[in-house]
Amino acid sequence: MSEEKKELITTEDAIEGRREFLKNVCLTGATALVAGPASVSAAVEAASADADTTVAEFFQGHFVLMSDVEKEKAIERLEKRYTAKYEKKTTVSNVPAPEDTLFGYALDISKCIGCRRCVHACVDENNQSRNDPEVQWIQVMKIPKGNFAFSADKLEKGYPETSQFGDYGVQVGGNAHTRVGGIGTEEAQSHFDDLVTPDNDHFYVPVQCQQCEKPPCVKACPVRATFRDSAGVVLIDYNWCIGCRMCQLACPYQARRFNWGEPNLPKEEMNPHTHYFGNRPRMRGVMEKCTFCAQRTREGRNPACLEACPVGARKFGNLLDPESEVRKILATKRVFRFKEEFGTYPKFFYYVG
Amino acid sequence: MHSLITPTKFAVLALCGLLAISLGLYKSAESAEQMSAKTQNEPLVTDCYESREGYTTVTRVEGAVPQYGYPNIKCSQKTGAVLWYGDPYEGTVPMGEMPEITDATRGNYANAVVKPREPRLMYFNMGPDGCKTCHDGKTVPAPKNKKPRELAMHQDIVENSMQLMHGRGSLWCLDCHSATDRNKLENRQGVQIGFNQPQRLCGTCHGELYIDWRAGIHGKRTGDWAANGKKRWWVCTECHNPHTVQVNRFNPIKQEAPPALPRGMKNADHERMPHGEH
Repeated sequence: MSEEKKELITTEDAIEGRREFLKNVCLTGATALVAGPASVSAAVEAASADADTTVAEFFQGHFVLMSDVEKEKAIERLEKRYTAKYEKKTTVSNVPAPEDTLFGYALDISKCIGCRRCVHACVDENNQSRNDPEVQWIQVMKIPKGNFAFSADKLEKGYPETSQFGDYGVQVGGNAHTRVGGIGTEEAQSHFDDLVTPDNDHFYVPVQCQQCEKPPCVKACPVRATFRDSAGVVLIDYNWCIGCRMCQLACPYQARRFNWGEPNLPKEEMNPHTHYFGNRPRMRGVMEKCTFCAQRTREGRNPACLEACPVGARKFGNLLDPESEVRKILATKRVFRFKEEFGTYPKFFYYVG
Repeated sequence: MHSLITPTKFAVLALCGLLAISLGLYKSAESAEQMSAKTQNEPLVTDCYESREGYTTVTRVEGAVPQYGYPNIKCSQKTGAVLWYGDPYEGTVPMGEMPEITDATRGNYANAVVKPREPRLMYFNMGPDGCKTCHDGKTVPAPKNKKPRELAMHQDIVENSMQLMHGRGSLWCLDCHSATDRNKLENRQGVQIGFNQPQRLCGTCHGELYIDWRAGIHGKRTGDWAANGKKRWWVCTECHNPHTVQVNRFNPIKQEAPPALPRGMKNADHERMPHGEH
């Protein structure tokens, strides 16, 4: 046992040593390239803690695989950088996922009124870029309930039409090809802007990360920057992400967002209570998405979108606890999963209450 | 290396660099100007409503959660709705006694808190004695029976008292409001119920919804997600207006802003195109 431990420590030290070396080489190289040999000493003096932190961050490993000491250092670096940048005391938490928990979400589409408060509550909570690029993790779809009218004229006019050779094939009634409602995404609108809501001829379906049990994004990620944690939530190590956007392509729910530019987050609107895998400010060129508010739910509180919903259409809880609201909904209501046919097994359930 | 770069090339490079720097400076200055103008023109909305406009107003207090420097709430600048809670239990009191029901709802209300409704009611707060300031039996005489009649007052709540549609015309004011004590509600057994616990009255008719509400399936609950955690239960009248509920289960409200259009797109008409028969 002790020997193993010793070996581990020495390897870590070696890695740390190599990192230090690489860091120093790169720092000197970079400054030499930019400023030329005459001003090297001046540049080194002027190199702020911020720049140092950035370089150290660049060379840090995957957070999940780090030792506790490395994690502490990484978090210290981030807290220092965010506190300086946003001019307020920022905490980056590393609370682990609660034990014996599988997070699930249920949303009542018969109650949702499409007011988009969840969208903006999420932005307030999770430090997304406010504009240019505007990043929102929830997309509210407005879907027509459909035309429930059948036409008597079409009863005899099915396909295939009777040909000159007689009536061949299986006749289906002409009404078979008329939309009769239901949830389809073909005619969904996401940029709707009405005076008041709800419009009674439409369903409203908010879509965010569905926290799949078999997440295609995790399969697609070439560097394993995105992964499923023990509570079933798919998370991203923003520092390990290389920004290749393979996960965005793989996600059937369009739930992932990419930071095309430097995030535009005003200091006064920044939320200083952050989590490493949750709402800490992101950088340009990384993916982000709904984390079920990791910084809140890992500490026992409900997600921000749930608290903002004025009609109580959103329910969150532990799928392993039969007393939880989500489990009671699964037991008593008519529940469906979005795009079930993809076999992603989402833990985000839509129901009719 | 230096000998390879001719003076002309160097000059061009330097010019390009200068141009890039000046462009960047210009852009940042412009955006800063826009931001400051935006904040100057729009005063911060500090009074906003939770679910029912006019009946659930909360005022923003800075630094209400000193741990993170949070305000108690954040309001929407566009619609004046509460978007975000710093403290989900602000202004709540323990829910207190719930009537025992012998079904399997397994309602867990040991850690339940509610926001009292009485401070939010306009007429209730017009005098020191609540509604009794006028309805004391002398200024406004007590009604003799529960028969519907034309009301001279309170048209802002019920426009035409003869056409009160709750229960599709089978109910009238005094079926829920106590005839003798206007500070109370009253159920069909004559038990007086406070305005803070409307669920005890509504539940006597809407049993199915009441059972769902007790189980946590119907209605809003904020706070902890754990089944036995502390939660704020939202009571019936925080979301529904009992006087107009037949018209709208939930009164229509304004929407928050739609997401920005993709760069270069002028409008979202492509979404509204008819797709024809499928």
